[in-house]
Amino acid sequence: MSTVQSPARRPSIRRRLSSRSWRRTVAFYTFIAPWLIGFVLLTVLPLVLGFLTSLTNYDGLNLANIKFVGLRNYTRAFADIDTRFSLGRTLTWSALNMPIWMILAFILALLLNRDVKGQGVFRTLYYLPSVIPVVATVWVWKIFLDRNYGLLNAIISLFRPGTAIPWLSTHALLGLTAIAVWSGLGWGMVVFLAGLQGIPDELVQAARIDGANSWQVFRHVTIPLMTPVIFFVLVNGLISSFQQLVLPLLLAPTGMNVPPPRSSYLYMIHTYRQIFVYQRFGYGTALLWLLFIVIMIVTLLVFRTERYWVYSEAAVGEEGR
Amino acid sequence: MTRRMTRRELLRVGGLGSMVAFLAACQPKVVEKVVEKEVTKIVKEVVKETIIVEGTPQVVEKEVTRIIEVTKAPEAIAAPPAAVEGNVVVMHFRHELTEDEENQFEADNPGITIEFVAADLTRFFAMCAAGTPPDLLRCQAPSIPQFLARKMLYDLTPYFEISDVLSLDDLAPANSYYRGYSPVAIGDGPIYGMCKDWSPDFTLFAYKPAFEEAGLDVPDDTTPLTYQEVFELARQLAVFEGERVVMWGYGYGDWWVDRIWMNVLGELDQSLYADSFTRIDLTGNEHAQAVTKYYFDLASENLVANPLNPSPSWNGEDFTKGTLALLQFGYWYSASAESDITAGQVVMLPAPTWAGVRRDPTMTATGMVMAAASKVPDATWKVFEWYNGLEPAIARAGGGWGVPALKSMYDLMPSETEYQQQVQRVLQEEFKYAKVTLQFNPFLGETTTADVWAKNLELGLRGDITFDELLANVETEVNTAILEGVDRIA
Repeated sequence: MSTVQSPARRPSIRRRLSSRSWRRTVAFYTFIAPWLIGFVLLTVLPLVLGFLTSLTNYDGLNLANIKFVGLRNYTRAFADIDTRFSLGRTLTWSALNMPIWMILAFILALLLNRDVKGQGVFRTLYYLPSVIPVVATVWVWKIFLDRNYGLLNAIISLFRPGTAIPWLSTHALLGLTAIAVWSGLGWGMVVFLAGLQGIPDELVQAARIDGANSWQVFRHVTIPLMTPVIFFVLVNGLISSFQQLVLPLLLAPTGMNVPPPRSSYLYMIHTYRQIFVYQRFGYGTALLWLLFIVIMIVTLLVFRTERYWVYSEAAVGEEGR
Repeated sequence: MTRRMTRRELLRVGGLGSMVAFLAACQPKVVEKVVEKEVTKIVKEVVKETIIVEGTPQVVEKEVTRIIEVTKAPEAIAAPPAAVEGNVVVMHFRHELTEDEENQFEADNPGITIEFVAADLTRFFAMCAAGTPPDLLRCQAPSIPQFLARKMLYDLTPYFEISDVLSLDDLAPANSYYRGYSPVAIGDGPIYGMCKDWSPDFTLFAYKPAFEEAGLDVPDDTTPLTYQEVFELARQLAVFEGERVVMWGYGYGDWWVDRIWMNVLGELDQSLYADSFTRIDLTGNEHAQAVTKYYFDLASENLVANPLNPSPSWNGEDFTKGTLALLQFGYWYSASAESDITAGQVVMLPAPTWAGVRRDPTMTATGMVMAAASKVPDATWKVFEWYNGLEPAIARAGGGWGVPALKSMYDLMPSETEYQQQVQRVLQEEFKYAKVTLQFNPFLGETTTADVWAKNLELGLRGDITFDELLANVETEVNTAILEGVDRIA
């Protein structure tokens, strides 16, 4: 006589609810709920509202008779000479600022990675500019770089009397770069230093035993092992440089809504002015969304190049097989 | 058949009646409550003054109200009847409405609380978007047409008409910026606010050592210069050391340059805007071209701070550091013109003219308005009345930072020192020419035109564009902004 197997019965709801996996799921969402709620309310919701605003002619005060304009604000950005100009200035600024800042920060980190007397003091001193409030930093630099009364031109005037180089107007981008590099060196140095201290001593010693000199150790051991850190700094630095607003805004001549000089008319400055000077909230938020897309593209391109120059142990493991 | 009342019912009714009578007899006597309160007493007198009618040799007698005494002392007064109550949201600057003043007002007006919000454009937009704009908003004259066009303002005329503190007849000319029949006809009609103080804004401040250095006499303070004379003076006063500017020849509020143009064009009965403010006209108006060229030339000769050669701070500070010879600011600047360096060396001069017509209005008229959406208008009016007519206004009048908004407080302006007396002499004369009202564009932001000018000025100074191209660019960009404004508001 054959026995008929009864089909497997699904556990009851009560059993399911009290099951271990369900409890773990609930615990998971409970623990991440504070972050999730904050993320939704403070990030997702503003992003959605921002996008919706970019489809209107909102000016801060016309909520009662706001008009839907579709993608007009986006098409306007492509036709706007100032938008294209400011994007160009931003790319120039990034191309100028990033290499100088990264190279100097790396060199500082290399120097401070040596076992020298007063190492801690130097590390603190080099990091100090990063913690000084940006307003104070800019004000001091403005005094230093002022065309007529600045210290820099006064020093140059010792050799060429009557010098008045316009560091804050015609050459504002150079002035901006100097300030950004000076104040950002500390952060870059700390990150690179952490990376350098993560390089195993055994690898350096092994290279030395094999006859490598300092340059060869640097070229074939240090740099490859630092590429992940360099990659991290590069990506973060690029994103920050595209979003630069406070420095050029504070560097602009004092006065109500006096525009910053064309030399330092970055994309975010242009966006800020569209919103707060011209009350073009819709157009301004459209510009912000376009910047988001540009940053995404640039970041993706950098990620694409990762496999060609960033050392990773997983990749080396695969090659070794 | 009627039913007879039973004994029990009779006793019940009688007991109730007695109880009512008893309770009524036991009511406490209504005693008028007396409170002790610090009361501000302002003693005014009406005097007859002989004045010369502007533009004619006619001499007339006019009654003028003057404040002769202000005292504050505790006094026992009858408790006020059911007071106005409410929480009034005031968006202002902290240094212009202090915590002490706020607390004093609340102590004197129980039931009304002031909720102070620091003046901030972003916050203002957010509050408006939420449907809860501040009850009282600090603003300037150029905002009024825009607010009127958007129907954001509360008509305060009925309040003014019954106020014991603020009288329409006592309002200084600058308050006309807060009156308007429509956004394009400002100056008369319903009143929506008032200025906290004001200045004839086109006067000049001269730094005497700069004139001495240049071998020039300081101009006479009774005769106005022409703008062309100002330009020549600036050329002679400016001092250069190679490419360095050691002494700026001239300075003005470049962030308000379009308002200066408006006033200058007003001398010629011209306007910056055409077709009911729906477009700016620069390239088609030879007078506007001449006026804007004047400011372009000042910048191109480095006689004034400009986009290629900016001031390290602002020209007000340049003047007090003794590095600016001649500065165009209003009476408000007199309070800060004298520094450790410039003390005793400053002279205020009358407003210059372009075509011989004297005009010296205010171009800011900073004040406050009440939101049309205010849910507590009576309480808000109490705060408004107090701020503009009582202790804070009296304190402001004596500070010298602006001409009082009420004519009856004019005598409270400081005039102890020789410098202050000289300033007052010039100011009293300038009052005659301060009655005109600049008509601001309701479709533009306060600083749009000046901003567009500054941006294109840099290109013009660098030679990237010609002056004609500069004007055309400004016209195109401002007209685009006007059209957007019309679209948003209309």
